[in-house]
Amino acid sequence: MNLMLQIWAGYARLTRRWPGIAAIIPFIPVLALWTAVSEAGLFPRAFFPGPGDVVRAFFTLTYKGILPDYLQDSLIRLATGAAVGMALGIPLGILIGTSRWAHRICWPVLLFFQAIGDIAWLPILLIWFGFGLTTMTFVIVYTVLFPVVLNTVLGVESVPRDLARAALSLGASRARVLWEVTLPGALPNIITGLRNGLGYGWRALIAVEMIVGTSGIGFMMFDARRAGSTVEILLGMIILGLLWYIVDAWILAPLERATGQRWGLVTS
Amino acid sequence: MKMLSLRNLGKTYFDPYAGAHVTAVHDVSLDVEPGEFISVVGPSGCGKTTILNMIAGFIPYSKGDILLDGKPVHGPGPERGVVFQSFALFPWKTVLDNVGFGPKMRGVPKAERDRIAREYLALAGLSHAAHRYPNELSGGMQQRVGVVRALANNPDVLLMDEPFASVDAQTRMTLQEELTRIWQERKPTVIFITHDVAEAVFLANRVVVLSKGRVLDQIAVDLPRPRVWDDLVKDDRFKQLSARVLQMVRAA
Repeated sequence: MNLMLQIWAGYARLTRRWPGIAAIIPFIPVLALWTAVSEAGLFPRAFFPGPGDVVRAFFTLTYKGILPDYLQDSLIRLATGAAVGMALGIPLGILIGTSRWAHRICWPVLLFFQAIGDIAWLPILLIWFGFGLTTMTFVIVYTVLFPVVLNTVLGVESVPRDLARAALSLGASRARVLWEVTLPGALPNIITGLRNGLGYGWRALIAVEMIVGTSGIGFMMFDARRAGSTVEILLGMIILGLLWYIVDAWILAPLERATGQRWGLVTS
Repeated sequence: MKMLSLRNLGKTYFDPYAGAHVTAVHDVSLDVEPGEFISVVGPSGCGKTTILNMIAGFIPYSKGDILLDGKPVHGPGPERGVVFQSFALFPWKTVLDNVGFGPKMRGVPKAERDRIAREYLALAGLSHAAHRYPNELSGGMQQRVGVVRALANNPDVLLMDEPFASVDAQTRMTLQEELTRIWQERKPTVIFITHDVAEAVFLANRVVVLSKGRVLDQIAVDLPRPRVWDDLVKDDRFKQLSARVLQMVRAA
């Protein structure tokens, strides 16, 4: 009992000094299980590689320059798609959120197209644009757009009416109200939308790279399947998880907290 | 300072669910002298908030006129400051920036509007809270900010819509006393909407009783100032006036 308390105290001190460790520790049993299964020799090595093999593949592919190149391609595609998606989605969301007519006209259309998933566009896109960057960008933008628009609308509509009225009766013009009240009021929701959009976009990107790609992490994994290289497939999967964890936990989540909690708009 | 006049003001709107026209305000005429403090009381549904929203310019009126110094008003404007029941402070701005918002909209430079904001915060005893955010303040403190934010813009008329309805009873009494003190110092023209009869009498020079969208009666309140609750609860004149207003409101 005393030993358990000591371990717990040690863990508490350790994670206070290096908070990142708290995120790594839960993966220790997963890694242990993986190692145990692969070492036990239940499956052929080529069919079920262990962690060591994957780490070796990581260094080999990094050394050859393939992995950094592919990673860069994937990230640039995601960033481009996200930027375009935001540039379209935020103004559209504000228009729909502030104008009752725009809402009536756009909302049903928006829901209709949201239901046609990103991948469902691929057949027609391949005919229109062929196997290339245009098709990939379209899919990413499409995926990012809906969460951003829908959350922006939600954010704009959640700004209390009295705040806009207060600004108007303090002498603000309609344009100033948009800038001083509507946008900051909707910002926490916009960031939530971006966070969701990037999450969906990341997954859509990998799927599209598998089908139309000539580079990128998704392409690497699908290409490895052709060569029967399970190591590279597993490596790709791990990179997907790790990268998203970094983007979400280190960038997006703190950003969301910084706006919402500071202003008391989010209670948690 | 300018004079505010309501001339045969009326508000009728179409209720699509009832499929009929509903009249919230029938015919209200009222003159408010510069520097006067007017309380408007009445049972719920008497149209008092509708009248205030029309004066503020938040909703259009259907008939009659609202004149500020003889000129009709349409839409919201900085010459009519509003204090909201919901406080309506900007959560992403510090207390200082909330109070400086009106001057900012007028194009006053940062240093000057900070000076104005600090002056008004001092008036409400809030100097220590200048750099805090609204959600870090109690309800009573938030509404103090709401009041001085409206005042810092130097409005001709200050419109207050049940501003103390959502704070606790003790804080409400303190806020009422502070409001009468600030009014005495600055003499703004105030229209104060409330359903609380004692509050209406305590604050005002004149109490307007509304009923079903019409002015039922007006009662002059000649109580001496400064007014504090400790004295007034024992004051016979205050009790008499309150009883009279209460009777009218209940019969309304």
